Amino acid sequence: MDVSAKKSKSSLKQGLIDCDFHQTLKSFDDLKPYMPRVWWPRLSEPEATLPITIFKPVPLSRRDASPGNGLPPGSDPEYAKVDALDRYNISKAVLTGSLLTVSAHNNPDYAAAVASAFNDYTLDHWIPTDDRFLASILVATQDPILAAKEIDRLGSHPKVVQVICTVSSREPFGQRRFYPIYEACVRNNLVLALHGGGEGDGINPPISAVGTPTTNFERHNILAIHHMSQLNSIVCEGVFETFPTLKVVFVEGGLAWVPHLMWRMDKNFKGMRNEVPWLKKKPSEYIIEHCRFTTQPIEEPNNEELIQMFRMMRAEKTVMFATDYPHWDNDTPTFVLNKLPEDLRRRVAYENAAELYQLNSKPLVKEGGPL
Amino acid sequence: MMKHDAVGVGEVEIGDCKILKIGGRSIGIYYDGEKYFAIRNVCPHEQAELCKGKITGTTLPSKPHEYIYGMDGEVLVCPWHGWEFNINDGKCIGDPKYKVKTYEVSIENNRIMVQM
Repeated sequence: MDVSAKKSKSSLKQGLIDCDFHQTLKSFDDLKPYMPRVWWPRLSEPEATLPITIFKPVPLSRRDASPGNGLPPGSDPEYAKVDALDRYNISKAVLTGSLLTVSAHNNPDYAAAVASAFNDYTLDHWIPTDDRFLASILVATQDPILAAKEIDRLGSHPKVVQVICTVSSREPFGQRRFYPIYEACVRNNLVLALHGGGEGDGINPPISAVGTPTTNFERHNILAIHHMSQLNSIVCEGVFETFPTLKVVFVEGGLAWVPHLMWRMDKNFKGMRNEVPWLKKKPSEYIIEHCRFTTQPIEEPNNEELIQMFRMMRAEKTVMFATDYPHWDNDTPTFVLNKLPEDLRRRVAYENAAELYQLNSKPLVKEGGPL
Repeated sequence: MMKHDAVGVGEVEIGDCKILKIGGRSIGIYYDGEKYFAIRNVCPHEQAELCKGKITGTTLPSKPHEYIYGMDGEVLVCPWHGWEFNINDGKCIGDPKYKVKTYEVSIENNRIMVQM
């Protein structure tokens, strides 16, 4: 065990919830038992399932997190448990999956079939292996009606806590054609997670608002514009007035953009409220009540500035810890949480997520002492 | 508090907002055809000349994607950032903690009198 893992043991006595833990397939063949035969040939064709625009010099998944035998990182639950859950004393890990970018595929039926098969694979091969794993239902957003059917198909599974899709999309998520997804989330008492990915890929608009950047560095610096766009749209269109119990998590967008957007929205609301008369309170109030944000990839200013930023966005209510294991830009618990004062650390490490996912009735700390 | 003789009744047309110096302050006198209003000509946001904005209506609270127009002739819109003020009580509709000063108006001997 490394030094950072030892430190996390002493400082996170109340438990630790990882809100972005990626499981994946050993190969696309894993999906075949769960997919109609008609789609099988596509699975083995290069880039026929996940359209990709930009070359990433550092591979998405950490080479050192491979379970061995040439298997992809995150493809073996037994290895992932030791390599991440045990190492960092993670009490619960919300599985956020892979293949999220099927929402960028040009064929809505194929995308829905891939998402559905992946969900079955997760529930069969990951969830039963450890009580610490919680599941997300992956949906493809091209056809919100199909997405809603998938949510209804699996939404009552006791380990499913949320619905997940990419934050990138062809149209802003506040628009009414996406409402079947929100209705299904509410009907099944599930959180909606919007996770980075698919920006500029396939059918999606460009990575930036001014076109396609030249490098992955340039792309990665501004990924949060997609989170900003969706949050802005969802609030302005009155989604939280229409669906008052809906909660939305913004995953892998970092944090520092949130105060900026809240301030701008509140400022503009004073003068432009008449365009959105359905908003009954300031935009930031909807955000604080209905939205949560995961830490990774955490911005890295000095600690004083980081804590100021946490305070500005009401992190004691809105921020939840995430590793993004086993992806290349993952954060360890100690790297993020040791920067925070105790009151914030407790909320971010554990309590905000436990409240959001309604885990409070279930013990998150193993008997026999703190994790 | 005292009454200031602001302007003659016939000098403010319906729908017009006449800006006058009263008691050392810039005040807009507005006439809606039935009633006169006196409003301080300073937006509490960035001190723009508020009364140079238009008087109109606005959208009333509604369900998402429902548009109900109302308060016609009761909303003063700042020409700078579009803040809307209810001319009856001076409160900013977008954030009622902001307020522009309004004054009581009376008519005496065909003169518009402003209490301030």
